Amino acid sequence: MKGVKCVAIMNATLFALAGIILVMDAKAHEMTPTYPKFESSFVSGVMKTKMRLFNRRNDVKYYEIGVFDSEWKPVPFVTSYKLLQMDYLETVSFDLYINTKDLSNSTYICSKSKLIKSDVISTGIASRICSKIK
Amino acid sequence: MKNVLTVVAATLALNVMATDVPVQGNVQMRCLITTDIPGVYGNPTPHTLSTAVASGGVLPVVRYDITLADSYKAKITTPTSFSSSPALIDTVTWTGSTAVAQTSDAGMSGYEAAKVTYDATTEYDLTVAGSTWFSATLSATNGYDKAFPGGVYSAVLVAECIAK
Repeated sequence: MKGVKCVAIMNATLFALAGIILVMDAKAHEMTPTYPKFESSFVSGVMKTKMRLFNRRNDVKYYEIGVFDSEWKPVPFVTSYKLLQMDYLETVSFDLYINTKDLSNSTYICSKSKLIKSDVISTGIASRICSKIK
Repeated sequence: MKNVLTVVAATLALNVMATDVPVQGNVQMRCLITTDIPGVYGNPTPHTLSTAVASGGVLPVVRYDITLADSYKAKITTPTSFSSSPALIDTVTWTGSTAVAQTSDAGMSGYEAAKVTYDATTEYDLTVAGSTWFSATLSATNGYDKAFPGGVYSAVLVAECIAK
């Protein structure tokens, strides 16, 4: 009887450990702030904001930045890199510049994970997070 | 003598006075997309690939964590083409559906009924702060019931979190 109880406890422990491992293996994508605020930059007629990207996806090394209007049409903008290379668990803060005349049309700042074709086995999940300019 | 003792006791009491150590934290408004399970296609018949459990597949599961209620929309788009596959001659028919698999708050129980579906995209209004798990059932059927050629097939599901 004691042996059966021991096996049951061991099984429960193994399931709990498997659960913890699965949770720890979670892959996440995060971008903040949700509602970025723009301020004047060192160039007249150009506004800037600072965005922060966190890569907790070990299957993703690149994130593409995009700015869109309310109809999801692209809006011109400038960042150091439009395709950011990020290591696993790396946080990157980047400045994003938009012309004052384009800012009124800009609604979303988005980051999208770029999956490498050869890394996708069966089904892959691309994540995209968009902050809203209010 | 009593006065001296009183002064010493008062000094000791001052020395053991507790100091408050402030511990601060900041929870930022944010949306976090977590790919809990990437999903696997099963091959129940030669001309079908499906992530349904009954077909031997594994459903892809995406978790959305939001820290501010009523500020985000979740958009999940199921694939309508393979990102890589052997050469295919026939037209592939794609079907996909997304459902709420699990929630962290009872207030999220209405998400499934309130979802909006168009084309291959399903939108959910995330009105409650917390975590929501979404699963997707995907299937691809080769034209004229012809068997899929042997090889590796991959497709990509897109999970989006849009600030409102």
